[in-house]
Amino acid sequence: MKNKIIYLFILIALTAGLSTLPSCQSGSGNKTAYHALIVTGQNNHSWQESTPILKQILENSGLFSVDVAQTPKTGENMSQFKPDFSQYDVVVLDYVGDPWPEETRTAFEQYVSGGGGVVVYHAADNAFRNWVAYNQMIGIGGWGNRNESDGPYIRWKDGKTVRINEPGPTGNHGPQRAFQVTIRESEHPITKGLPKIWLHAKDELYQQLRGPAENLTVLATAYADTAKGGTGGNEPVLMTIRYGKGRIFHTTLGHVMGKGPFPAVECVGFIVTLQRGAEWAASGKVTQEIPDDFPQFNVTSRWPLFRPMNLDEILDQLREYKPGDNRMPEQDLTNLLRGQYNAGTFDEIEDQLLKFIIGNGSAAGKNYVCRELSLYGSENALPVLHKLMTKEPDVAEMARFAYERISGEYSN
Amino acid sequence: MDHSNKVNRRKFFRQLAGATGAAIALPYIIPASALGKEGATAPSDRIVMGVIGAGSMGTGDMRTFMGKPEVQMVAACDVDKSHREKAKSIIDANYEKSDARIYNDYREFLTNEKLDAVILALPDQWHGIIYIACANAGLDIYGQKPLARTIWEGQQIVDAVQKNNIVWQTGSWQRSVAQFHHAAELVINNRIGKVTHVEVGLPNGTPSQVHNPVQPVPEGLDWDMWLGPAPASPYRGVCHWNWRWILDYSGGQLTDWAGHHIDIAHWGLGLDRTGPVEIEGKGVYPREGLYDVPVEYFITSRYATGVEMTIANARRLEHGMGVCWYGDKGWIHVNRSGIWASDDKILAEKIGDDETKLYYSRDHAQNFLDCIRTRKETITPVDIAHRSISGGLLGEIAMLTGRKLKWDPDKQIFPDDPLANRLLRRPFRSPWKLKGN
Repeated sequence: MKNKIIYLFILIALTAGLSTLPSCQSGSGNKTAYHALIVTGQNNHSWQESTPILKQILENSGLFSVDVAQTPKTGENMSQFKPDFSQYDVVVLDYVGDPWPEETRTAFEQYVSGGGGVVVYHAADNAFRNWVAYNQMIGIGGWGNRNESDGPYIRWKDGKTVRINEPGPTGNHGPQRAFQVTIRESEHPITKGLPKIWLHAKDELYQQLRGPAENLTVLATAYADTAKGGTGGNEPVLMTIRYGKGRIFHTTLGHVMGKGPFPAVECVGFIVTLQRGAEWAASGKVTQEIPDDFPQFNVTSRWPLFRPMNLDEILDQLREYKPGDNRMPEQDLTNLLRGQYNAGTFDEIEDQLLKFIIGNGSAAGKNYVCRELSLYGSENALPVLHKLMTKEPDVAEMARFAYERISGEYSN
Repeated sequence: MDHSNKVNRRKFFRQLAGATGAAIALPYIIPASALGKEGATAPSDRIVMGVIGAGSMGTGDMRTFMGKPEVQMVAACDVDKSHREKAKSIIDANYEKSDARIYNDYREFLTNEKLDAVILALPDQWHGIIYIACANAGLDIYGQKPLARTIWEGQQIVDAVQKNNIVWQTGSWQRSVAQFHHAAELVINNRIGKVTHVEVGLPNGTPSQVHNPVQPVPEGLDWDMWLGPAPASPYRGVCHWNWRWILDYSGGQLTDWAGHHIDIAHWGLGLDRTGPVEIEGKGVYPREGLYDVPVEYFITSRYATGVEMTIANARRLEHGMGVCWYGDKGWIHVNRSGIWASDDKILAEKIGDDETKLYYSRDHAQNFLDCIRTRKETITPVDIAHRSISGGLLGEIAMLTGRKLKWDPDKQIFPDDPLANRLLRRPFRSPWKLKGN
């Protein structure tokens, strides 16, 4: 009985668009520019995990209010699944499963061809092999017994998108790993300003997708290394497709299966391209800035909360911090304080940092905060640092480091 | 070997240089009657050398100098037992003897050894303390670039080297290579007209992220001594070579390569004894993994002459790695692979007798040895090394602060940014001090 109640709660929470994930920073109560609908409910992946994450990501952009349309379970009666697509600026597809009712399919086709926006997320390109219009919308797809009769493979070769008409399997991937994504269309609103190459966090690299690929623009590819079970080709990972007046953004990235953490969707590259892709699909333009901590060619970068951490969250993590842990809270503190100081608002948070270093956090966490105080601390920090120099041996050296830099009185 | 009876060899060289003055022609010619059995310098006239920091760079430099018949390598110091034992085996094999001496602690090395000159190839956090200790011990120094981890330490090294009349050569060996010399000489003699802009392309980044856990220190490695004045840190499997990707020990590719390509850029501009007046920069610092040096860097410096310097990852610049000077009549690009210009005719230009001639050397190690005997300035003296690395360190500070900074290259301070001034210096971990060691 208890389990049933919990299950029911989760279901309500999901359909009502709530979740147990950290709440979004932008305040979903505010009026947003666009309305998004996530379609979910069946998948060969953990849609119960991925849908709330997608919702968070969209809301965290500050641009979207997000509803969730959840289908019945596999094999159950689908006839009443009739979301009103026309109410939305963008429909995000996180669904692989039973066919929708014809009425719903027609409504969706009309919504898209009439100028609606769509985001095709990861395994959504596995869905609906036999629905012609859907395959035109996703451009290329995989699995579901697709083969050469569904269209050519699409790859990037010699500086352009090529269609490869040859028989062979459709849709597979090597072992999950971090891999480089290369931007191929750097003037498109979605990709403009992104690093040319960035290292995507551990994910599946879809390959050998094929389909009608009409009106399809490859925005980014990833090299599927033969040593890692790959085709040896540059496989599309970010695409846009035009269907009638509709705009479709297709990302093959973002594998979510089982229990978290899910690095593929924590990747700042995934998050930012999804947010930008959704905005473009909804409006044809992109107004979002590219964050400074976007991954680079040889380093991944993740947002475990699907957005940057705030100071309280960073300090909470530093309180538990010990040598050998992921440096993320350290670097995030550095970046945040630089921004605060240069915006003239460091004074407002110095007390919080001083409280932290005399609090009950780990020595490694305190040492890092002392190090940052050495750069920004005012004279107010000196008495606190002086106390640490005499009272806390594990922090004394870094407290002295900060004390000497702030006071300008160096002992060595 | 009884060191107490050895003449003070450095003094000997100085007296020799003083007595004959400029009459000594390079290379120094030794009478055949004084030649040793290798057909080279007699052992008693050799320049006695040792090395502190005997890793890949230190042993490489050691082999270069042992290839010079006038050098006698006698001792090595390294905080890793395997490094110093390897250094001993290299020295012993070279001389077919077994008397090379090895040390863990540079202080014992300096107390026990009676050297003329020393090779210093250490992680950057150690440069200030050990370079100055060697200068105060009166040793001539072949010191690896970058000169120092901070600008303040660099200033102290310059003072100590100059005060003690030390012959100093920096490992900025590109100055002793024909194409770099040729490029800089063309630029300084206005062959591309007035230079408005110079691009300095440095390597792209660091090795991939590593997430090493804390682990036992390998046997034979004196980790606390390796850290020296750097902040205490548990061992995580990164020490030799890869220390360069951790800010406590290095500024990454930027500061590693400043001593090469910023050095050459300054040379061609005739600005190698000053610095910029304005710097701004943007870096991207990895958020995960052990390495924390920037993987992306883009720095713009402006000099009092009006010339602007861009320092960045090579792939973000038009000509990639190396130095490219842009003048109002063309451009010249140089790196280790070659030299190029907007017009090949520029490269064929000869520099006339009445024009500016830059210091000529085609053998960096030999130039150092020659200067030890003549007491003349080397091709890469200490104050120039300081200005070369300052170009990189100022960029680092601009990125760390995220502000456009004004710099006074004479006083070597940021006149209107006290917080940026804090980054000119790092307090040392106890008990290390720059002075009194």
